[in-house]
Parts: sequence; structure tokens; C-alpha cells
Amino acid sequence: MSDLLQFVVAGLSSGAIYALVAMGFVAVFSVSGVINLAQGEFAAIAGLSALSFTDAGLPLPVAMLLALLVVAVVAVLMQRLAIAPVRRMTTLVSIILTLGVSTALKALLLLIYGPQGRGLAPLPGADLVIGGVSVRAQELWILGITAVVAVAVAVFYDRTVLGKALRACAEQPIAARLVGISPKAAATVAFAVAGLLGAVAGVLASPIQLTQWDSGLLLGLKGFVAATLGGLVSIRGAVLGGLVLGVLESLTAGYIDSGYRDAVAFVLLIVVLVARPGGVFGRHAEARV
Amino acid sequence: MSAEKTGAENPGSGQGIEAVDLEAGYGRIEVLHGLSLAAEPGEIVAVVGANGAGKSTLLRALSGLIAPTAGRVRLGGADVTGRGPEAIAAAGLAHVPENRLVFPTLTVDDNLTLGAWTRRRDKAGLRQRRERVLEYFPRLADRLGQAAGTLSGGEQQMLSIGRGLMARPSVLVLDEPSLGLAPRVVREIFATLGRLRSAEGLAIVLVEQNVRAAFKVADRATVLDRGRVLLEGVPSDLLADDRVQQAYLGGGYAVD
Repeated sequence: MSDLLQFVVAGLSSGAIYALVAMGFVAVFSVSGVINLAQGEFAAIAGLSALSFTDAGLPLPVAMLLALLVVAVVAVLMQRLAIAPVRRMTTLVSIILTLGVSTALKALLLLIYGPQGRGLAPLPGADLVIGGVSVRAQELWILGITAVVAVAVAVFYDRTVLGKALRACAEQPIAARLVGISPKAAATVAFAVAGLLGAVAGVLASPIQLTQWDSGLLLGLKGFVAATLGGLVSIRGAVLGGLVLGVLESLTAGYIDSGYRDAVAFVLLIVVLVARPGGVFGRHAEARV
Repeated sequence: MSAEKTGAENPGSGQGIEAVDLEAGYGRIEVLHGLSLAAEPGEIVAVVGANGAGKSTLLRALSGLIAPTAGRVRLGGADVTGRGPEAIAAAGLAHVPENRLVFPTLTVDDNLTLGAWTRRRDKAGLRQRRERVLEYFPRLADRLGQAAGTLSGGEQQMLSIGRGLMARPSVLVLDEPSLGLAPRVVREIFATLGRLRSAEGLAIVLVEQNVRAAFKVADRATVLDRGRVLLEGVPSDLLADDRVQQAYLGGGYAVD
């Protein structure tokens, strides 16, 4: 029993990271129809630049916040330079294009930071043992911060005029243009949001999973699977998808073989795409974002 | 309906909308072949014609959803040819699109708020405008907190028009607002269009399949045929024209 709980707790914290990345996929896809395969790189850039900032002597929280800012700028630049100029963007074109951007970013990170992986110092706090289940302080931070971020994202889309304007673009792009909402401006905001979400994932995961030039690859793919579980247009679906994926991975690694951990996401992806292409958690006329 | 006359405070130059020798289409397919049309403030111009005559294309070219390949579009006296829909909306044209296109998961209230996107910094104006729109469409007042996608077709049409009005436009163009609605609802909506013309001094371009209903409210009418103006004039004169009778009103073809 305590084994099970231990696996679930570990799964939830890695799932929270997937959830953050998945929300980034949803933020961009719902507004612009772009599947941004560089979403994982946002996390890697955040982790690595936070490491540079701490190396430069900045305190950890400052380094983390600066890393978020760096990635938000990178995400907006990516949208402006690589996405916006494309005349007829389709989802397929976006996949090829962002795969290119992702590869270029990875190469750049390899050039700058070299091949070795490093971990950011964990956030402060004592590890806990509750009922035989040990929980690392960093895992509590991950769960707590992810919860706060997820609520903030939901409030942004549900309560603010800017968030509602983004939903309007996602639901009725033509009508949105007719009331004066620029789809390019909306896409820029969406990329900034996606960059921030990916960056939060990157700085939170770094102490546990280490960050290196290519750590965005697997994280991005898993975030994409999590977002797909939720139907790719639902923030709530993405969060749920991330948590479910994390727990399933952890259970598979714990009870079957840790070598199968990374296979879970892709088996799940195939099953979902065959059986429920609209997402597992998405209701039929699910609200976009 | 509303006591105040607002025609005088109508923003812009008071010169309505004007298209001159407009050519437009999709890719290499040209749909409008040099079409001219104007609507003055305080005037409803009905645009009718068969499917494929270019009615919707005309509205899309007016509102900037497609860029004209030749000709000019003037809005309130200013040349807006080739500008995007966001800019043209900000310049005072509200396009109420075919099939309403309300934002379905957003509430009625949010749909209205987003209608005023180009004037979103003016919070006080926004409240005033919402009250005014709800006076024109009182049915929406009971539905403010409801998701727009759950409204009836008629209510969605009212919301779509109300959303357009939120930006305080000087020109309103509507693409088949009667589509799929019961005659009673069509009468109600068209009567409101008549009031908007008189009380707000709007220049209204009304694209319709429902010729009888449109002609009843319109001051002038234009019949399009394959991207050109076939006939124009006062609705009562056009109704007497054999070609209009044959094409739209004859042969037991029910239009109302």
C-alpha cells in the first residue's frame, strides 16, 4: 500500500511538470492551430539559463524569474520570426516548422552549454515522510506551484478580457477579427503564455531531472501526449492529462520495469488517437481553452 | 424605444459606406467585377441576388476580410481600401457575419464586451453602450450570464448584431440575418434595424435572401447578378420589375 502511494506521489510531481508543458501546447494550439514542437525547448532554455544566472551569483528565486523572462522573450521572438511570416499556416506546416525551430534551438543550447546535464539547486524546505511515504521538498514545491499556475491560467482565460479575447480567437477566428481582435497579436500573447508555462516546468524540474541541451525533447513529447489526452484545446484536460500520464509512468516503472517508463506516453498516445481522437477528458462540445 | 435621439452624435464624418468599382474574389477566382454601392447615414440598403451573386463577398470586401483587387472602399469619407478587418472595425464598420458566429462558450455579456474590443479602454462608454444595446434587444438582458452557444437562433442573431453595435459603429453590414429564423423573429429583428437606422443614424447594408422582408425595411435596394449590379432603386419599384418578380418572388417560390 505504501509502495502504491509512493509511486502515486512521485507520479503526480512528474505529472505536474507534464501538465505545465501540456498547458503550453494548449495555449498555442487553441488560438493559432499551431502545434509547437519547440515547447519542450522552452523548458530546457529556462533550466539552463537559470543555471547561468545562479552561476553568476544571483539568488535562486531571482535566477528563476529571470529565466522565465528570457523564455517568454524567446517564445515571442519565435512566433514573430518563424510563425507569423507564414502565409497559410496549417497544423502540418506548423509541425514541420516548429520541429525545425526545436532542432535549431537544441543545437544552439549544445553550442552554448555543452553536452553535460546539470541540476538547479532545489527550492528550500525539508523532505517529509508521511505514513511511510517520503516526499521531497522539491516535489511539494512542484505540486504547489503547478496548482497555483494552473489556477492562474484558468482565471486568465475565464475572467480577464484579454483571456476571453484569446478564447474568442480560438472559437470564432473570423468573428474575432471582425470585432477588431488581431489574430497575430493573439498568437503573440499565446506564445508568451506558452513560453512562461514551459519555463516554469523547466526551472521546477531541473533539480530532480537535471537539465541539458536535449532535455526538452522527451519533456516536450510527453507534454504533447498529455495535451492530446485532454483533447489539445482544454486547459483542464491538459492538467488532468499530465497528472494521469505521470502517475501511469510511475506505476509502470514501479510495478513492471523502469525501462518501460518512457514507453507509456507513446503507447497511451497511440491508444488515444485510435480510440478517442478528441481526447479522453474532452466532452463532445468541449470548451476550447 | 430609446427616448434620446443619437443621430446627431453619430461619430465619423456622417458619410456612411461607399464602394466604387470594386473587384474582389478568392485566389484567382474573381467574384465581384467592378461593383459600386453606397449607403448613407440613416439609410438601409438591401442587397439581394441569387446564390453566388457575390453578396457575401461584397460584405467581406467592405469589412476587409478579403482585400479588393481593384476599386476603392470609403468609410465615413476615409479611404480604407486594403486595410485589415481589425483596422476597418476600429474605423467604424461593424460586420455581422453569416451564421451569426457568436463566441459559443463565452457568456452573452462577454460577447458584448468583446464587441467593444476596439474601444475597450473606455469603461464608462462600455456600460452605457451595453445598456443601449439591451434596450434594442431586451431578450438578451435576461440571458447575460448564459453561454452564447445555448441561445436560440434568433437570440444568437440579436447577440451578433448587438456585439457589432458595441463598438459604436457608423456603418452596420449584415449577412443574411434572417437565415433559419421564424418569420416572427425576422420581423422583430428587422424592425430593430429600422429603429437603429432612425435613432442611431446608422448606414446599414443588409444582404438578404429573404427579399420580401428585406424590401419592407429597406430605403433602397440593389440586385446583384454574377458580381455586378443588375438593378438598383426603391424597393417598391424593384418589386414591380418583372426580372425581380421572376427571379425572386414568382413561381410559387416562398420567400417569406
